[in-house]
Amino acid sequence: MSRQSSSVWAPSRFAGRFFVSVERWSRFIAEHAGQIGLLIWNMLAACARLRVPRRDILRQLHIIGIQSVPIVVVAAALIGVVTSQQGGYQMQSQIPLYIMGSVVVESVVLEMGPVLTAIVMIGRVGARITAELGTMKVSEQIDALQSVGRDPVEILAAPRVLAMIISMPLLVSMANLVGITTGMISAQYTLGLGQETFFYGARLFWHSYDIVYSLLKALVFGAAIPIIAIHMGLRTSGGAEGVGRATTHAVVFMTLTILVIDALFPPLFLN
Amino acid sequence: MSVAGNGSGPAIEYRGVFKAFDEPVLSGVTLSVERGEMFALFGPSGTGKSVLLKTTIALVTPDRGDVMVGGESVYFGGRDVLERIRRKVGFVFQYAALFDSLTVFENIEIGIPEENLKRMGANAVAQRVWESLELVNLDPKQVLGKLPSELSGGMKKRVGIARAISGRPEILLWDEPTTGLDPVNTAAIERLITQLSEDLHVTSLLVTHDIEGGLDMCDRVAMLEGGSLRFCGSPDDFRASDDAVVKAFIDRKAAIAALDTLEIR
Ligand SMILES: Nc1ncnc2c1ncn2[C@@H]1O[C@H](COP(=O)(O)OP(=O)(O)OP(=O)(O)O)[C@@H](O)[C@H]1O
Ligand SMILES: [Mg+2]
Repeated sequence: MSRQSSSVWAPSRFAGRFFVSVERWSRFIAEHAGQIGLLIWNMLAACARLRVPRRDILRQLHIIGIQSVPIVVVAAALIGVVTSQQGGYQMQSQIPLYIMGSVVVESVVLEMGPVLTAIVMIGRVGARITAELGTMKVSEQIDALQSVGRDPVEILAAPRVLAMIISMPLLVSMANLVGITTGMISAQYTLGLGQETFFYGARLFWHSYDIVYSLLKALVFGAAIPIIAIHMGLRTSGGAEGVGRATTHAVVFMTLTILVIDALFPPLFLN
Repeated sequence: MSVAGNGSGPAIEYRGVFKAFDEPVLSGVTLSVERGEMFALFGPSGTGKSVLLKTTIALVTPDRGDVMVGGESVYFGGRDVLERIRRKVGFVFQYAALFDSLTVFENIEIGIPEENLKRMGANAVAQRVWESLELVNLDPKQVLGKLPSELSGGMKKRVGIARAISGRPEILLWDEPTTGLDPVNTAAIERLITQLSEDLHVTSLLVTHDIEGGLDMCDRVAMLEGGSLRFCGSPDDFRASDDAVVKAFIDRKAAIAALDTLEIR
């Protein structure tokens, strides 16, 4: 093809490619959305029929909830310190120092506590779930489970999701407490802000709804992370490399989902 | 183990099963396996024998067609029917597919349907697991507590068979049960298949590359090639067939000749 004719055709070729990729993307999104919807539906059905083994829920509570405590506490402690220091840095001269109490408490409770706990849990729990189920999928263990009349959604998916939904609000509550405490201590040492003043400032702008908002986030994140992880695990194919690929994709998918949900929270729930 | 189930008609009936992955694999397979029958399925590597077996209990969903098991539809019968079908069908996977985080005992125990587990009680379950291992010529004392990663390939395979029979299914689907086993263990598995069929009227559909073994044991045989059935009939007819592909499977010389003339990959 000569150079001229190709440049004449370029716009329509571009448009063609554009529509092909739009089509591919919408099919991709529809496929994931459909599969996730079905997964959620099957999981609800399994819970409604009380078919989820209690022993597995307890086991997952241990792995997902209890074993995550140390990393969540460490992350929250650091977040508290950083929030308080950064706030202090910006808050010289005119602004009264007691505002710091509110800055630390509100940013930890409304944003940092839930979101950072979720990010930690994506790495610690989400990736693990995808890798675990992905390996079972590519080695035909999921097939084998079905062949003996067991339902992977009941036995593998539901216990993990339930454990995560139970754990997340507790972990986030803990992260909030720890973050506020370290923020307060840090403010005391670096800004000389006493405890009473800190809490005076915190109370000034505090709504009891804030804790509801924080725990609601925890709950939604706690459902979204394992559901995506399981979905990505169960559609894994292609051996060890496929498991690696699925896990990476799952982490990206979970992180973006958490950030998007987080961005939707203020317009939906803070009015 | 119960005699053939309720309802009438064949134990398994494939009705025009189509399945394509990137390329077409099964293009309209129609086949029925009678109750209590031992049926062998041969075919070149990669023609979709494993895929066909998996469509029997909806581990792979066909693009078109249906499978009937004991007169009930696998794909249009709903969830309860599929659950019932999976309970009465045992599946021996080509690569064992053991649960790698469970011990041999737990791997076999899970082959017993949940409601039976509750009814039987711990002792009867342990007894059943023990028996299943003995049937596949493994020493229960030696392997019960081990993890699959601590077993040899042939041992894994036999644990997979023990799992498939522990639920006392009416129908067994065997995907190359003797591939990779030594001659003594091959004989043990072949005897097990025959016993299950003769003593307990279990229906067996056996995918195998051991043509002689399959022809000796089975009541009928079929050959899957290029996505559809190339042959279906008695072992004697199979031996007497003029079909070049069939001949290539019986006779080493014909197989060598087929290398150059036939499109078998
Ligand atoms: N999950 C899958 N995804 C994509 N392709 C698949 C899948 N399963 C099977 N196939 C393809 O289907 C074809 C048939 O595979 P199958 O495992 O049924 O062969 P087979 O007849 O059992 O061969 P063998 O005797 O070597 O076990 C192969 O070409 C394989 O690549
Ligand atoms: Mg195969």
